[in-house]
Amino acid sequence: MAAAEITYLEAIRLAMRDAMRDDERVFLLGEDVGHFGGAFGVTQGLLDEFGGDRVIDTPISEEGFIGAAFGAAWMGERPIAELQFADFVSCPFDQIVTVGAKTHWRNGIALPVVIRLPSGGGVRGGPFHASSPEGWFVGTAGLKVVCPGTVEDAYGLLRAAVEDDDPVLYFEHKALYRRLRAPQPDASYRVPIGRARVARDGTDVSVITYGSGVSLALGVAEAMAPGASVEVLDLRTIWPLDVEAVLESVARTSRALVLQEASRSTGAANTIVSLVAQRAFERLDAPIRVVAPPDTPVPYAPELEDAYLPSAAGLTSALEDLLGY
Amino acid sequence: MATDASAVIPCEEAPAVDDDVRRRIFRCVLLHRLMEERIMLLYKQGRIPGSVYTGRGQEAVGAAAGVALSADDVVAPLNREMGCHIARGVTVAHIFRNYLGRATGPTGGRDGNMHFGVPEQGVFPLVSMLGDLVPVMVGAALAFKRRGEPRVALTFFGDGAFNCGDTHEGLNLAGALNVPAVFIAQSNRVAYSTFTERSMRNPVLAQRIEGGYSIPCPRVDGTDALAVYSTVREAVERARSGDGPQAVEALTVRMDGHAAHDDARYMDRELLHEYATRRDPVERLAARLIADGMSADEVASLRDAAAAEVAAGLAEAEAAPAPDPATLEQGVYASPVR
Repeated sequence: MAAAEITYLEAIRLAMRDAMRDDERVFLLGEDVGHFGGAFGVTQGLLDEFGGDRVIDTPISEEGFIGAAFGAAWMGERPIAELQFADFVSCPFDQIVTVGAKTHWRNGIALPVVIRLPSGGGVRGGPFHASSPEGWFVGTAGLKVVCPGTVEDAYGLLRAAVEDDDPVLYFEHKALYRRLRAPQPDASYRVPIGRARVARDGTDVSVITYGSGVSLALGVAEAMAPGASVEVLDLRTIWPLDVEAVLESVARTSRALVLQEASRSTGAANTIVSLVAQRAFERLDAPIRVVAPPDTPVPYAPELEDAYLPSAAGLTSALEDLLGY
Repeated sequence: MATDASAVIPCEEAPAVDDDVRRRIFRCVLLHRLMEERIMLLYKQGRIPGSVYTGRGQEAVGAAAGVALSADDVVAPLNREMGCHIARGVTVAHIFRNYLGRATGPTGGRDGNMHFGVPEQGVFPLVSMLGDLVPVMVGAALAFKRRGEPRVALTFFGDGAFNCGDTHEGLNLAGALNVPAVFIAQSNRVAYSTFTERSMRNPVLAQRIEGGYSIPCPRVDGTDALAVYSTVREAVERARSGDGPQAVEALTVRMDGHAAHDDARYMDRELLHEYATRRDPVERLAARLIADGMSADEVASLRDAAAAEVAAGLAEAEAAPAPDPATLEQGVYASPVR
């Protein structure tokens, strides 16, 4: 019998539930994660199953509860902390880059904390509720940054993140919460952190993307076939970057385009462009391109946000240009 | 120690503090003082890179709080609490190895001066962003509470860090979660060069901790090691027994500048003279030991033993190997991805 279909949001909840059932050390903390079930309902039902000792409502204190997650992790716990919006990561930034990122390298203390960050636009959230700030952490030694773009990865990356011994920033895309549906992954399913995946084979051009870019790129690739053979490389983890997977994909297609929802000078784009320029320049038949929003905050009005976000039409046009170079 | 012994005000009588505890605290404050005197010389000789931050005048607080903890408790000392490391069993050589940047030191040369932890002794590493470790230690205490373990987590902050948001979020969170955390406020009256009177409306931290967070916070003379010990010990045991977070405000004076490069010209000379001649925490404890019957010869022999321990520890540290640059990228991750 085929597994029941679940949403991306349900996959995140299921991953937390299964991790908590498997391991007493796993607990949740964050604002409104308990009685209310989370700002987006991701933690609904978990308080009832696991009780107040394992699903902890905190004050509005991101510095406080992210710091506390690191302290608990030092003592052998495996906390999952939820930020209500990824935008709010500016508040505990110091705890993440100072305590979270540097402690193992400095002093050999592992801090296995997962921070869940609901990110991304398309929900008319405006400058403080629709950002994709993952690029702030790309290049920060000691952190791992994962960005699931599918239901399977929402589950498998979160399970892997909880079992990982380092701080993992798990950027879950709000617009995918209820848009993506797929069969429920098996409880043993894990997605290795640090490894990209070829989401679609192709020979003419590589779209290198993550998060919300994955379903967008797959749709465009399908629409452009068979005239163009578009490969889609889903990075899954954007830091540390799967260098070999990027280079292998570029070697196969000789044309590359980075698609991301983070504004163009942030995100993972610059790291990938730099990598390709340094190590795959001679494999390229055309300059590498970036499809990303402009360097502004995320706007609110539908006319502005729709123009801001990457679109199927914009991606198709950029790919046609690149293929015709 | 060039002070006139007759001018020194002994620690208040503390009959409940037994001889073994007094000796342990005395060793910690002596080692703290003597090591930092040596460290300042090494710094001026160019043998210690970077900078040096001393705890002169504040030795009693870290040492006594460290001795007040039990072996299973955890602590995050800051840069004026070297004696707390000693109290936890960290060796003189290990501390010197960090200052000298040696491969076998606690950070293997990756960080310097007091920026180190010793996890096997339950000591979390200091970060320079003061205030950060308040929530971190609340989290350690939360782990103890979740597991029903009779352990406490203790950390320090100065009056300077009391102006940081992380400190306040940590205090509030400790109260909201009712965890066994203990906070020691080191009120040394000055943050780098700015006096508390100019950085806060109410510099009585105990009032603000008790009134703002409903966390008990007795005030204690931070130059009286035995008083600090008794007060912190009670706070630790209240936290351990389930009474929630506790605090102690220790009133001290920072006798050196913020760091070795700072001549502290802005400090009140009369106040420093008063503290150097009458309220030096090492000498106050020595005077109490003598007043309670320890012979001057024995006190002198304890001083000699500490000096010998410092000399031996430094020699051991200096013989330790330098770090290998080829190892620089090792240990970034606990679970490397490839």
